[in-house]
Amino acid sequence: MICAVPKERSADSHVRAHPVFESGNSRTRRSVLRAAVSRERARAARAMLADCRFCAHDCGVNRLAGKRGLCHAGAEARFFSAQTEVSDELELIPTFAVALSGCDLRCDFCITGAASWNPRAGAGFDAGAMAAKARDALRNGARSIMVLGGEPTIHLPAVLEFVSLLPETVRLVWKTNAHASAQARELLDGMFDVWLADFKFGNDACAQRLAKVPDYVRVTAENLRWASAHSELIVRHLLMPGHVECCWAPVAEWLAGNLPGVKVNLRSGFWPAWRVARHAELQRPVATLENDRAIDLAQQLGLNLIP
Amino acid sequence: MKRRRTTKNCEPSGRCLMSELLILPDGRLLVHNMTPVFARLLSRLNPESEEIMSRVTRHPSPPHELPD
Repeated sequence: MICAVPKERSADSHVRAHPVFESGNSRTRRSVLRAAVSRERARAARAMLADCRFCAHDCGVNRLAGKRGLCHAGAEARFFSAQTEVSDELELIPTFAVALSGCDLRCDFCITGAASWNPRAGAGFDAGAMAAKARDALRNGARSIMVLGGEPTIHLPAVLEFVSLLPETVRLVWKTNAHASAQARELLDGMFDVWLADFKFGNDACAQRLAKVPDYVRVTAENLRWASAHSELIVRHLLMPGHVECCWAPVAEWLAGNLPGVKVNLRSGFWPAWRVARHAELQRPVATLENDRAIDLAQQLGLNLIP
Repeated sequence: MKRRRTTKNCEPSGRCLMSELLILPDGRLLVHNMTPVFARLLSRLNPESEEIMSRVTRHPSPPHELPD
């Protein structure tokens, strides 16, 4: 049950909002429609790089002219991983996961920090070549295609071009930090079947201290409400040592109160990595007691936990 | 906790798949970017682990292959 009221959709969002599967012909027509829409949006997104406002940092830099905002990304996307994986939600795996380099957040505990903080990491992203790899993965049993990062929002032109080259009937998953702008969400409307979105911090102080991101809770809540109204939504929370009460508890309460019934994946496999040495409480895995407390809390609130 | 292993499975094309494994002092294993091959390996090491077995998936009819 989702209580959020869908906002008005953009003119072309019917492509994914009202899928038709009755016949091969209609499926083909739908594929052509999505391909056309995403290709057109890719062009629009590329032009928007001249005044980049894809994420909530709202930098407004001209990435086409070589200027860099807080994410440091240029005009061309790069990727650091593309393979079939089985460590995501059971309903999505095996998934062909494409991880783009660079991110607009600076989480000190990032497990892929070297590539996520550096948009120059990895190899150049060729949408056509990657779509061919994705089709191979599908032929070999992958049941979804996941686009992630770093943070894929900062590479919308490349992502939309990639989407335009994928089979229509495959389940597309948008793995995001939920720090997108309204402009980015409009470009993404109808393009992905599932938003797999993080709700990392339960308060702005922890978000600022651990990820250097201001106004986190408001921006994330805005993105999650939008995602629940425009696509399937799975919310992820990575349980962090020492942050059960300050982060998980308020996130769980918000989800119970604002998105009742939404699928929630509570991840307990915190992995002390990257720059956790900056934070004393993050230099260990989550304790069993903390994990038990987090699950109790979720059950008390009636959250729809999924594996 | 500090022991971190990286495993690679390279295809003839030279492209490598990668999973990362963290072994905790209490014996727990954390895996990042788990590939199907790595899941099968872990399931052989510990066939009683339901968590790993659930990742060793078989999908005879992938949902992207919709019937006409």
